[in-house]
Amino acid sequence: MKRGARTSIGDRIGVGLVLALGVLGLAVLVVPSLIVLAVSFDTRAFVSFPPQGFTLRWYAALADNAQLVRAIVNSLWSGLVVMVLCILLGVPAALASGRGRFRWRGAVPVIVLLPHAVPGVVLGVAVLFAGSAVGLRPSLALQSFAVTAFILAVLVRTVLARLERLDPALEEAAANLGAGRARAFRDITLPLLLPAILAGAAFTFIEGFDNISIAIFTHGMRNPPLPVELLGIVQTETTPLVAAISGVQILLSTLLVAIVAATIGLRHVSD
Amino acid sequence: MSTQRAGGWASGGALLALPSLAFVLVVAGLPLALLLSFAVSDVGMSRGAIVSWSLTTEHFIAAVGDPLYHAAFARSFTLAASVTVLCLLFGFPIAYLHLRSPGWLRTVILVATIAPLLTSAIVRTYAWIVILGRQRGLLNQALLGLGLIDEPLRLINTHWAVLIGMTQIHLPIMVLPLIAVMSRQDPRLEDAALNLGASRLRTLRDVTLPLAVPGIGAGASLVFALSYTTFVVPQLLGGGNYLNAATMIYEQMIFALDWSKGAVTAAIMLATCLATVFAITMATRRAMRWSDQARA
Repeated sequence: MKRGARTSIGDRIGVGLVLALGVLGLAVLVVPSLIVLAVSFDTRAFVSFPPQGFTLRWYAALADNAQLVRAIVNSLWSGLVVMVLCILLGVPAALASGRGRFRWRGAVPVIVLLPHAVPGVVLGVAVLFAGSAVGLRPSLALQSFAVTAFILAVLVRTVLARLERLDPALEEAAANLGAGRARAFRDITLPLLLPAILAGAAFTFIEGFDNISIAIFTHGMRNPPLPVELLGIVQTETTPLVAAISGVQILLSTLLVAIVAATIGLRHVSD
Repeated sequence: MSTQRAGGWASGGALLALPSLAFVLVVAGLPLALLLSFAVSDVGMSRGAIVSWSLTTEHFIAAVGDPLYHAAFARSFTLAASVTVLCLLFGFPIAYLHLRSPGWLRTVILVATIAPLLTSAIVRTYAWIVILGRQRGLLNQALLGLGLIDEPLRLINTHWAVLIGMTQIHLPIMVLPLIAVMSRQDPRLEDAALNLGASRLRTLRDVTLPLAVPGIGAGASLVFALSYTTFVVPQLLGGGNYLNAATMIYEQMIFALDWSKGAVTAAIMLATCLATVFAITMATRRAMRWSDQARA
């Protein structure tokens, strides 16, 4: 690293200040999660700091809580439905926009993006209205459909970005060598798109699992997803049970990101 | 896709886009149109079903003139604007730190930024309840322990708690676009400025920052839109009486079951949110043109 000729003390302080703010920002991002993790192993029946002792009883209590377990299962279903729908709808849409030869293909990503520009709360209220106008009560299905419409844009954008960086000559070469369009797609395009599809799918699954702003208005009364259940529990429960739920989520998400970082790389996600 | 033609898919591939377009139209387009029409209607409800519906601007006009609405939307706007500025204040330095770090540290910073995004907003807000709580909150305990205060401070259920919690929760959303834009910059531009004798600080101000403007614009739009419309953080950290646009919709829809009012509030939120995001986008474009001219 070459240093400029005019490196003054003021200059160092200025850059140092920016870097210090960055370190402080990172600490603010990470430390609250660490505190919650520490609290989740506390032996006492109330949340206090510093934690005392070490126990897994709150994690055990979590597994014993039928209401929570059912909410987690509901959220897993929602995540799965949202992810599958997004792949089935989104990959073809990205292909149509990136490889299609029709006049309004540029409009496809724009239209798909529109619901994502609408605040989740507003979309949730709108879907609740529309559902009841045609006699559809709030349900896990209605919730999953609404979240799909909201998050579809992310998968389309991720896949399309990758598609635009691929060389169409690869597919054409395969087609010219007699592979046929379908086979060229299956053997050339799809494998090359796979990292982007997986990254997009992961994000849509998480949104389906975690969404609260849409789910709060559209979820079924008898089968609320985890975030809806949590919103109530956080406001009433005073034991470290909530910290244990948090602990599970924090560990899972960090693990997931670490796996993505080690395998397909975080570039697909951060772009 | 099964039809094989020399030129490509049947109808040039347009059919592939149809399912997603139809889905978005039915699940988002029509419901939003209905929402807007509800905002200028009187909707009669019974047990979650619509029993009557007549057009009237009564609810809309009542809301526009209601001081409660003004206060709620003004508070949401100030809150979202402050959160956006704070996220930029911490977010740009994080992205700059990422830019100047060696490879392994870059991965650590990315993991620290992305992992919270995959954790529920409620869980992340809960962390602030643990930290800011009145009786057994970590901060109060620490201050009491150090003898700096005699009585626990009221930290939670305040506007400040909402501001701090929301800034932390939306910080990754500011950092990611900044990192994406700044990693695409040509590092030789910075090197050139340094070699020509510009100081680190001047290079940061005159090269790195102007080139990051598209990322700042993207991040600011996202953070503003989310902060303006989320009810989770205000609901959990603001206390029962905390009123802003998002908690107002939550209140009207979930507790009061007043769909006419809910529709009006949601419609105003949609319009003001989109208008502000549009303004941020325009400002970003102007800033980019300005920085291009300054360099030329």
